[in-house]
Amino acid sequence: MNIPNRKVALACATAALAVTALAGCSSSDDADTSSAAKTLEIVYWNYGPAAESGNKATADAFMAAHSDVKVSLTPVTGENWGTYYANVATLIASGKHPDLMVISGEGAQFVHANNLVQPINAYVEKDPEAKTLVADIAKGLIDGFTVKGDIVTLTYGWNDMVVYYNTDVFKKAGLEPPSADWTWDDFKATAKKLTADTNGDGKPDQYGFTWASNEIFPGIMPWVANAGGNLTSDDVCTATADTPQVNKAVTFLKDLITEGIAPAPMPMSDVFTRFQNGQVAMFGAGRWPIATFLPAGFKAFDIQLYPKGDTYKTVFGGAGYPILKSSGNPDLAWEYQKFTVSDEIEKQYVGTPDKPGDSIPSRRSVAETISKVGVPPANSDLFYHSIDKYPTLVPYPAPAKYSTFESTVLRHLQQIFASETSVSDGLKNMQGELSGIVTC
Amino acid sequence: MTTSSTLRPGVVDPGPPAPRPPRRRGDGAAALAFLTPSIITFLVFVLAPTVGVLVLSFYNWNLLSDGTFVGLDNFDRLFHDGRLLGVYGSTTYMALAILAVNVVAGLLLAVLLETRMPRWLRGFFRLSFLFPFVVSASAVALIWRFLLNKDLGLVNYLLGLIGIDRIDWLGSSAFAPVSVIIVNSWKTIGFSILVYIAGLQSIPNELREASIVDGANAWTRFWRITFPLLSPTIFFLVVINTINSFQIFAEPRVLTQGGPGDSSRTIVEYLYDRAFGDFDLGYASAIGITFALVLIVLTAIQFWFSRRWTFYS
Repeated sequence: MNIPNRKVALACATAALAVTALAGCSSSDDADTSSAAKTLEIVYWNYGPAAESGNKATADAFMAAHSDVKVSLTPVTGENWGTYYANVATLIASGKHPDLMVISGEGAQFVHANNLVQPINAYVEKDPEAKTLVADIAKGLIDGFTVKGDIVTLTYGWNDMVVYYNTDVFKKAGLEPPSADWTWDDFKATAKKLTADTNGDGKPDQYGFTWASNEIFPGIMPWVANAGGNLTSDDVCTATADTPQVNKAVTFLKDLITEGIAPAPMPMSDVFTRFQNGQVAMFGAGRWPIATFLPAGFKAFDIQLYPKGDTYKTVFGGAGYPILKSSGNPDLAWEYQKFTVSDEIEKQYVGTPDKPGDSIPSRRSVAETISKVGVPPANSDLFYHSIDKYPTLVPYPAPAKYSTFESTVLRHLQQIFASETSVSDGLKNMQGELSGIVTC
Repeated sequence: MTTSSTLRPGVVDPGPPAPRPPRRRGDGAAALAFLTPSIITFLVFVLAPTVGVLVLSFYNWNLLSDGTFVGLDNFDRLFHDGRLLGVYGSTTYMALAILAVNVVAGLLLAVLLETRMPRWLRGFFRLSFLFPFVVSASAVALIWRFLLNKDLGLVNYLLGLIGIDRIDWLGSSAFAPVSVIIVNSWKTIGFSILVYIAGLQSIPNELREASIVDGANAWTRFWRITFPLLSPTIFFLVVINTINSFQIFAEPRVLTQGGPGDSSRTIVEYLYDRAFGDFDLGYASAIGITFALVLIVLTAIQFWFSRRWTFYS
């Protein structure tokens, strides 16, 4: 053959590059299974740097305590918990067999309904250490992860929905901080006083309150719960979106917009920015905003319970590492799950004033140290008290098709809040659509 | 047949074409080696997924359990889906508007940029138009979402200064698709302008100069010279922009989440939700297959019509 060496070398290099690139796309299952006995594969939602560093710190600490175990972390992206579950399902469909995966309360029904998870009831009953740990965890957090009697996982961290308020805006308006026993009327009156036209163009540019338009838990759920309603029946088998209670809650929020006390709803990330620059005086969320606020140097805020409606219920969501049925070593996976609620790991969720945790430790004894350590806000003890002292919204309105459920609710709410349909018609349409989604 | 004797003065006779060099043994192997990366990429990332989607469309599969063969059931469901037609409608509305902006406004802007102006100013405008095109669609949409907020956004503040009342850009069925059109067009028009400029610069100056000598005004020059010679470029942009604008995803996803209702939802977003929200991979595949067929038919129609107005010199 008369082919120049340079040409041959170039062709080989090109082919080799292609093969290398494609090899990089292949699964690493073969390598993993050879030492499955001492390897743990963990999938988590990589929602940001905090998720990555938190999961890595837990894995590193576990490996330091168990020198013969290798923990392998697989970050999975997703715009919210729903899309994260979808991406994990894709991962499993492609042949990956994780031992544990991080889930939120909304995912408990999903993993249970899809027969993905190995319940931990037997471990909790037999393991003496587990009994001590469970006794230190609020009952609501255990109930929140129990589906049809099966405990899906222990919760390592959680969030309850509270009202954040900008203390500078309150001072400027001459208002006292809200008290825990405030009512919807008190709330509305306060929000009205906080709404202002600061640039004199005749239209408000500072609003009393807003809520996340892209999630239902920090969005409408606290209002629905405090009106005495829920979006599903107790067995999460039937939609209950057009009840008088849900109507009352949605009408209250709609009126805030109509009366100019709340701006057009916006996604949570936008709410954070508007709150920090004082354009929004109050909003609802869990503990996670402080992981954004404090590193940015913003400390002019505090928290209070949601105002009481016809009742008061704490709306919360947690996260845990359930053991998957695909696990080759469930006993070791259980040790890992237990480790995630150990003192060492739970303290990470307390954090420091400069580097706070982004959720509430599930262990009461650890959570109570947040205010002692001095992590803002000043009213931080409220986080755990809310689940210990008040009734909770159980179950989560989180059917197995949670992603579809949430997007359907949000789609109809968009139309209601944009005044394109009445509250009652909007909820009726929502109920009609949800009846095919919320089933057992 | 043209001979050297018929050539005008100054035109060099290229002479007979040079004989093609004989193909050497081994060239085929080298060519194959060079083509291998492309072939493998095509097989793995284009052909295999296409075949996979086609097969999936005949199954019920939720990613986590074994699939069930259901024949044409998923395609039958397309005719009973109460939302699908509406989503096709909103997709078509937004896609045609984006196409029109890219093809018409892109041409006008490109012609303006080719007029006489200082070089630095031309460079500035070109960079300004092209910059959004190279930025991530999600990042662009996030910033626009902030700007277009009804009550706290900069756009409504500026409109307020000239007496225009606040517009619910993201929350109303009338304006949500308009916002998607504006943001997507703003992002993609730089590419159209770039292609148009390349097309305009390939038109021989002699033709323009000759027409000026003949007394043609700017309008006549555009319609009689620029437009015909630019028609292949226009056709290319019509085809590319049609396909791209029907496939938009990031802008409606980030700006409006497809709402309110389905007013700004696109087919791609809808099938994504069916696949990864409902875990209904079979039905999502059926939507994908039929949508691909729609785009193929649209493109074929465009090619057929192009014969009537596209001029290849």
